[in-house]
Amino acid sequence: MHIADGVLPVSVSLAGYALTLAGVGYSLRRLDSANLPKVAVVTSSFFVASLVHLPLGPTSVHLLLPGIVGALLGPAAFLSITIGLFLQSILFQFGGLTALGANSLMMGLPALLAGFVFPRIRGRTRTSNALAGILVSGGGVLLAGLLLAALLATAGEDFWGVAKLAVAAHVPVMFIEAGVGGCTVAFLFQVKPELLAVQTFSGPRNEQ
Amino acid sequence: MTSLATRTIVLTPSQGVVFLLCLLAPLLLLLGCRWRRRKILGRMSTPLDWSIPAIDAQAHGSSVFHCWMPAVKIGSLLCLSFLIVALHSLFWSMVSVLIALIAVHLARIPWQRPLQRLAAVSGLCALFLLVLPLTSPPRPGETILLVPLLEWLPLRLTGVVLALTISCKAATVALLMEPMFATSELSRTLQGFTNLGLPGTLIQMILLCHRYLFVFQQEAARMQRAMRVRGFVPRTNLATLRTTGNSLGMLFIRSFERTERVYEAMLSRGYRGTFPAAAKQFPTAKDVAKGLVAVLIGVLLLVLDRLYPVQWP
Repeated sequence: MHIADGVLPVSVSLAGYALTLAGVGYSLRRLDSANLPKVAVVTSSFFVASLVHLPLGPTSVHLLLPGIVGALLGPAAFLSITIGLFLQSILFQFGGLTALGANSLMMGLPALLAGFVFPRIRGRTRTSNALAGILVSGGGVLLAGLLLAALLATAGEDFWGVAKLAVAAHVPVMFIEAGVGGCTVAFLFQVKPELLAVQTFSGPRNEQ
Repeated sequence: MTSLATRTIVLTPSQGVVFLLCLLAPLLLLLGCRWRRRKILGRMSTPLDWSIPAIDAQAHGSSVFHCWMPAVKIGSLLCLSFLIVALHSLFWSMVSVLIALIAVHLARIPWQRPLQRLAAVSGLCALFLLVLPLTSPPRPGETILLVPLLEWLPLRLTGVVLALTISCKAATVALLMEPMFATSELSRTLQGFTNLGLPGTLIQMILLCHRYLFVFQQEAARMQRAMRVRGFVPRTNLATLRTTGNSLGMLFIRSFERTERVYEAMLSRGYRGTFPAAAKQFPTAKDVAKGLVAVLIGVLLLVLDRLYPVQWP
């Protein structure tokens, strides 16, 4: 779920923007210019993939994919998520432009965390990679849901009901995305493992 | 003097119908759009739920917004959006919707895209409109609305007003997005962001991603078509998850290899991280004046909102 304009207090929106700009700056500094196309690819594919709806009983859900983006991009994931959300906002109005900062934090922080955790737990076999994929994908969605609830809760006591509802709505998505994420990582591990070898957080800074 | 006892307003049947229609308007808009889309999709059998619209299809019109320098336009309209988002009262939020409607009219663009934007925000607005009146916390001196036939469902007026205010503000900014982004080419708009101080690499990345979107969307559509002719029907089961996961992985790989080739071709043709831009533009007095008007409208709305918050019954 994307936060629309007018929901959050202005102070929270502006703080979200400030933190997002800091995150984007960090991502850009870590980004090697040879990796530019990779970031663009993951961003656009994540955007396209999130348009695909999967059936869930009588309704359908779409994938959020912060975990996979993090696993593929590492520290550059925040940049990717922010660009994706900006494009979703200007093309589809999914998420308001004034709430872009908050939305980027909501999806970008789980992605950064996934990028930090994934290379440390993925091991060397296909099974361990798939398990790590399941963990970061499901965990990413759960964390995004909790952050969304926290952001909504800053808007006042009236929103606590919606916040609880939002977390509840993320739980089925979490299971679906854990399954899809695990399969994606296993597939990538078999077919093109170098895509999973992300830039690490401790790598050299890129001087521009 | 206001008393702290809970007030109850019982609506007459006709008032109740109007009230419920207001409350359910976004939901109806959403369902209507979904129904229309399903009809169109059923005819063309496109596998994706959304095709990606061209943001700047109307970039070559002529209006106040078209001949406004992008950097100033984006900067001042973004300011205006933030000022509108800061409104508290329902009345002035409604006035802001009116201003946004006038802006779209002045931009001389077809109403289809602004309506699609409204439909996109209406999902969240519908959620707020349905949930907030029920879950607002009890307050001393609050007012409770009772709608005929729904007496068992007391609606809290604070929640209703809050949800309506949010919906109005969301609708305003959604409408303003069209004059903001649809009235000049995306590359020029993004150039405007560079002039506002955003890093050039970021803007290049956004441009690249925007171009890839359309390519990958076709790739994904092709893959989905291939899956469907092989008998894949998405259901709520593990096989669907596995297939989707694998196809997602395949989409990443195909897109990646394709992009690598394209990027190498771009490098060998002299791409050094920037696209050639038009000569640097400077804002004219007219551009600045328009920007000032936009920001002043926002400031005026905010001041009026704080000084004369029109109270509803």
